[in-house]
Amino acid sequence: MTRYVYAAGGAVLLMLAAAGMIFFFAPEDALQHEVQRIFYLHVSSAIAAFVSFAVVLVGSVMYLWRESIAGDRVARAAALVGVVLTTVTLVMGMLWAKPVWGAYWAWDARLTSTLVLWIVYAGYLLVRRLAAPGRQAARFGAVVGIFGFVDVPIVYFSVTWWRTQHPGPVIATDALPPDMLVTFLFTMACTLVLAAVMIAIRYRIETLLDAKPVGEMVIAPRAEPAL
Amino acid sequence: MRFATVAVAIARKDLMSEWRTRELVPALAQFVVLALVIANFGFQIDSHNASAIAPGVLWLALVFAGLIAFGRAFAAEREHATLEAMLMTGAQPAAIFAGKALSAGLLLVVCEAVLLPALGLLFGVDVSAGLVGAVLLATIGMAALGCLFAAMVAQLRARELLLPLLTLPLWIPFIVAGGQAVQSAMGASGAFDQAVKLLLDFDILFVVLTSLAARFVLDD
Repeated sequence: MTRYVYAAGGAVLLMLAAAGMIFFFAPEDALQHEVQRIFYLHVSSAIAAFVSFAVVLVGSVMYLWRESIAGDRVARAAALVGVVLTTVTLVMGMLWAKPVWGAYWAWDARLTSTLVLWIVYAGYLLVRRLAAPGRQAARFGAVVGIFGFVDVPIVYFSVTWWRTQHPGPVIATDALPPDMLVTFLFTMACTLVLAAVMIAIRYRIETLLDAKPVGEMVIAPRAEPAL
Repeated sequence: MRFATVAVAIARKDLMSEWRTRELVPALAQFVVLALVIANFGFQIDSHNASAIAPGVLWLALVFAGLIAFGRAFAAEREHATLEAMLMTGAQPAAIFAGKALSAGLLLVVCEAVLLPALGLLFGVDVSAGLVGAVLLATIGMAALGCLFAAMVAQLRARELLLPLLTLPLWIPFIVAGGQAVQSAMGASGAFDQAVKLLLDFDILFVVLTSLAARFVLDD
């Protein structure tokens, strides 16, 4: 138990350090000024979300291939964390788009495929909830997890040939000044640690839930209606 | 039992049952015509904008008709608990799945045989061979994916809710490429050949993937 508390505390401290870097170390953007600082967490959480969904894929394949219960649990845990991180990415992106593009949303390849990603994995979570717990939920979840991961790059590439507004990669093309690059890499590392810690904690929760017989789920007692 | 024998037998059974009851196809045909009427009111269609809006209306009507068709594909099996019976015969789950996808896809093609002429007539578009070909190509992949998830949700609670949520995002590649092909077949600029090639690629990919996954969805 304490291991998880320390890990969670460490991840929060790292995120605070990243916030410090973003607001006090990174230089202000010449064109976009303060609002550009959204970039660091926006891109980091997007990358962490993709990594989480890759974990879902690996866990799902492991389950279908070897009936690995651990694979299934890690897929469940990573899907939830991935949906949260995708939500963060979308919300921060929209907040950034409004001042810079003049609208919260543009039907651009990257935006559209990220939204599809969110919908696919929200569907994954829904399947897990509606399927009979155990083998059925694990199998159906794994199928959705795999198809989702295959579909999203396809959506991305199929829409990218016709419309685009979102900027392309800035890291690989060396477009960032050194201070910004350092801040970004640090934020990304912290976000990945945070994602890993969240997946680990969620994995533990899923293990505990699995250990309980279905009828014994802990449900908060309903409050008596006040008269 | 051989794969093709089982698949054809199941498709034949489904089509014969539809021929005898004549439930789904007339309802679907009525549904797509109704969708065109609703589109008319929703988009304020006149003779100038009709051909520009037509591709979008075509895909919307097709997608929702498809959801109904594939949702029904496993409904009867569920109601009579015959899916379990079929699985107990020793037939491969992938073959059963292929048969179901074949029959549901063919029913959707019959519904397209109403939708496309109606679109041509009411929206003044030229229904060319290229347009029909693109729609048929998209139908193959959509049927494979739609049937896989229909088989899945048939075993779940809230199946009517879940089928569109799972299927529609995975159909998007077909709508993007199919939409592009149909637009250029209707005379808009755009690479028709590239879009059709893309549709073919998606068809191959998803037919292979769904037949691999069928075992895990059906054999439970």
